[in-house]
Amino acid sequence: MLRRGLGPEPDSLHIHRAQGLSAIQLLREIREGLVSFDAHGEPAPGVAESWEVLEVGRLYRFRLRPDARWSTGEPVLGDDFVRAWRAAVDPASVATTAGLLAPIAQATAIMAGHATPDALGVTAPEPRVLEVRLERPAPWFPEVLAHPVTYPLHPARSDDPRHAAVNGAFVIEEMLPHAMIRLVPNAAFHAAVSLRLEAVEYLPIEDPAAELSRFRAGELDITETIPAGRYQWLRENLPAELRVHPYLGSFWLGFNLGRTPFAANRALREALALAVDRETLVRVVTGAGELPAWGVVPPGLDEYAAFSPAAAALTQQEREDRARALYAQAGYGPARPLSVQLRFNTSSQHRRMAVAVAAMWKQVLGVRTELINEEWKVFVNNRRMGTQTQVFRGGWIADYADPTSFLDLFRSGDELNNTFYRNAEFDRLLQAAGTLAGGRRSAALQAAEQSLMRDMPVIPLYYYVSRHLVKTGVTGFHDNVRDIHLSRYLGLGGG
Amino acid sequence: MTGHAGILRHAIQRLLGVIPTLLVLVTIAFFLIRVAPGGPFDAEKALPAEIQANLNVKYHLDEPLVQQYLRYLGQILTFDFGPSFQYKDWTVNELIGEGFPVSLTVGGLAMLLAFVVGTVIGVTAALRQNTAVDYGSMGFAMLGISIPNFVIAPLLILLFAVFLGWLPAGGWDWSLNRMVLPVITLALPVIAYVARLTRGSMIEVLHSNFIRTARAKGLPERAVILQHALKPALLPVISFMGPATAGLITGSVIVERIYAIPGLGSYFVQGALNRDYTLVMGVVIFYGLLIILLNFTVDMLYAWLNPKIRYDEKR
Repeated sequence: MLRRGLGPEPDSLHIHRAQGLSAIQLLREIREGLVSFDAHGEPAPGVAESWEVLEVGRLYRFRLRPDARWSTGEPVLGDDFVRAWRAAVDPASVATTAGLLAPIAQATAIMAGHATPDALGVTAPEPRVLEVRLERPAPWFPEVLAHPVTYPLHPARSDDPRHAAVNGAFVIEEMLPHAMIRLVPNAAFHAAVSLRLEAVEYLPIEDPAAELSRFRAGELDITETIPAGRYQWLRENLPAELRVHPYLGSFWLGFNLGRTPFAANRALREALALAVDRETLVRVVTGAGELPAWGVVPPGLDEYAAFSPAAAALTQQEREDRARALYAQAGYGPARPLSVQLRFNTSSQHRRMAVAVAAMWKQVLGVRTELINEEWKVFVNNRRMGTQTQVFRGGWIADYADPTSFLDLFRSGDELNNTFYRNAEFDRLLQAAGTLAGGRRSAALQAAEQSLMRDMPVIPLYYYVSRHLVKTGVTGFHDNVRDIHLSRYLGLGGG
Repeated sequence: MTGHAGILRHAIQRLLGVIPTLLVLVTIAFFLIRVAPGGPFDAEKALPAEIQANLNVKYHLDEPLVQQYLRYLGQILTFDFGPSFQYKDWTVNELIGEGFPVSLTVGGLAMLLAFVVGTVIGVTAALRQNTAVDYGSMGFAMLGISIPNFVIAPLLILLFAVFLGWLPAGGWDWSLNRMVLPVITLALPVIAYVARLTRGSMIEVLHSNFIRTARAKGLPERAVILQHALKPALLPVISFMGPATAGLITGSVIVERIYAIPGLGSYFVQGALNRDYTLVMGVVIFYGLLIILLNFTVDMLYAWLNPKIRYDEKR
């Protein structure tokens, strides 16, 4: 039996209600969408054995596997998807992640209550064929189809997700809330013969320190994370088990461009950005192999190079000289120092980061920083409203492996645009990229990021890494940028 | 009027007093949690307006606050605490139903351990007042009180789970060996407290006249201690144990976190942070009821142990 740490208790196992990462991880084990992931975390055919992209990316035709079955034995058919997707976009079913289906024709109108769910651009012309019509081309769309909100639902729509029929590699055998979820292989799964594990136990453990002691006591095979500040110790003491890998996430500090002092003051923003010594920050403060960041899109995406400005090539001394010049140019100096508020949500990691950044600003520029620690719910509200924020902790983890997952956050008026950045040229470049494909699309997106970073609505600090402890006897665990490790590919060897 | 009737009348009066106390508790908690900034559905990504509106309808958050309050009062009369906002597949009743037996078991065992070990240490120290045994056990007790459990727990885990491998480092499956470390962690400070209380009151009792009389009658020392001194000496311990038991069996947030135990304690913190209104309310009411009942039990026990405060003699 394989024992894995899960992090927090899953919020729901209903495909339309699940929101948290731990719930999504579990759903990927017990259910499958049209698309799934391979052992290396790359999108791979799931219930769909193949698909064609027609009408210049506006129509997808999926052919479903003949051996896709529910745990009850019935086949998984196109209608199971049509029914599930209509329910997902129906505002009455309050599916919190239904926004991922927005590229589908009529989805936005239905979610806003302007059309009925049966208007959704999805049909099953044959029992095992599914056609999906999109509003506009979306090259990342297949990966969205690996998210639980796009999974099929059994015809007997059970509202009790703990006992509903599933179509994934495993079924839930036993569940003790906040303690344990035991999965056993689903005999009806199309790849059931390839499963190497007799059972998987997921243990919700909220405290990373507790998770580490259980791993050391031999009660866990794979941890969800490692405790902050223990990286060096683990590297020395558990080098064979420690697995650190780049992850599709960026961490930055955002400026509120809707208020003074940062509105229309690019020189000041750049001065603060250059005064932060990213190399020291990732080495001393975060200290788990994170990469210093100069852009918002992390490395590791196909056909896309991480943004690297001229300042990235300078020494920190040169950056600081330039920072002082820009600071003076913005009208600040020893006689008139900048006073600024830096907001972050409660987390020891964020506090360490904030203290370090404030110290660097003080040392290089003489900025007076007030650190404001807020509880998560208060923090996200303040950040969204933008009436109090000046500089705030920001960042993003990719919904799907595409630069737009990050760049869309800076579109004028976007729901998640907490910097209130507005640039018509940037919007136009993103818009234009939507109609392109391949290398030309990448070039357009790269140009968009360049124009974004010229305006510097955020200070990129570092790119995330995934961190796990994996027992040496576990086989089939491949580090990957999405940090997805389905148990169906894992095994327990000797050693 | 006999003593028993007096106790009974007092008991009924006390039980009737529970209702207004609970009502005040419910009212304060209900409005306080809603005054806190941020709502149950606030997340990094704001929900589309239509979905937010439907969620509000589903959980009756669209109604005026007073109407929500009255609805809730009606609901709790039938002991229905509603669905949890955060753990959407569970009702609050189910969560309390799963979590309370765990906390009750761990806390109950810890209390039992603390009471037995604490009184034994306390009595021993009192009988050997100002000897090495007394100083040693009281020094140990001082240490037990002053070292917080978030220090003791990781030390115990490191020693017994990681290095010696005798016991699991955490988790829960109702097996006895998973209970050992959390029970000891919870019991240690209480043992220390009980030991000090017992010692103090035992010394006082041993100097009182009726003990002198008992000894003068020529009773063996063993009988003097067990039959005459112990009962009155335990009075302060009993009154301490009421609230202490309530604290232990409703779960300790820290101990639950460190040992990954699925008890009730973490719901207080998680519920409040997630603005899980129904969960917070459910746990607060449950906790409130439990404290009231335990205090009541202790009062009754006290009256039985101490003839001086039998309730009929005051009137």
